[in-house]
Amino acid sequence: MDEFERELHQALERRPAPPGLKRKVMDARSRIRTQRVRNQTVIWQRLAACVVLAGVLCGGFAWHEREEQRKGEAAKREVMTALRITGHALNQVKEQLAAHDHEN
Amino acid sequence: MAHDWQPDFEQLVDEHQSMVFSLAARMTGDRGLAEEIAQDVFLELDRNLGKLESAAHACFWLRRVAMNRSADAMRRRKVRCTDFWIEIEEGHAASREERGSPLGARLEQMVATLPEPQRAALVLRYQEDLTPEEIAATLDAPLATVKSQLQRGLKLLRAKAESQLKEYVRAKG
Repeated sequence: MDEFERELHQALERRPAPPGLKRKVMDARSRIRTQRVRNQTVIWQRLAACVVLAGVLCGGFAWHEREEQRKGEAAKREVMTALRITGHALNQVKEQLAAHDHEN
Repeated sequence: MAHDWQPDFEQLVDEHQSMVFSLAARMTGDRGLAEEIAQDVFLELDRNLGKLESAAHACFWLRRVAMNRSADAMRRRKVRCTDFWIEIEEGHAASREERGSPLGARLEQMVATLPEPQRAALVLRYQEDLTPEEIAATLDAPLATVKSQLQRGLKLLRAKAESQLKEYVRAKG
């Protein structure tokens, strides 16, 4: 290293950082961390709300399906009862007609 | 990868703020911008603290990120090298007395007028005392390129000094 390089080395020695730099860095770090925690809380809250909403929707859908099935089965039972009554009535008419034919 | 080093962020800021700020200031020529860059570099350090394996690794990482951020900032803001001297004059008026040598101050000014790659190599060589191999690793550049930038930078600086610095010529004579 010659004289010129020694001068250059001296000229380029490190300068002190501005007095408030460390405090600004620590403050910004603290702010970012607080914001990160807040963001995570918001994310968890949203996730929980989504889960609850999904649960309500699924429950509603399942209830609706079960209700439809119950109504279908009730309708089926009514149709079967109606068919049974109709069959019974037709049998009676048939018997009456047969008795009437037999008398004639 | 497991490592035993337990970094203390505040201590790292204490130890390296001068280095990071000086690198950014000399590369951008803007004290305010250099302070912003230094803040960004340390906040990024906080995010990457878990990946660093030793104090030396942290120092290398800080130098590298400071140089990269400074280059990005210069590309974005297109700060002219000549602004550096004005900033130095304004910002370090008090510290000029401390550093004493007007020749040193003129040399610092002339370094600021060098092309960016040569300035980066010279700042890392003479501010940080890095070897060409370490500079190549820091700048992620081929060793031959770094050596060439150092030689060209020094040659240009000597030429500027010869023509502009009477003190230097006198001292040399």
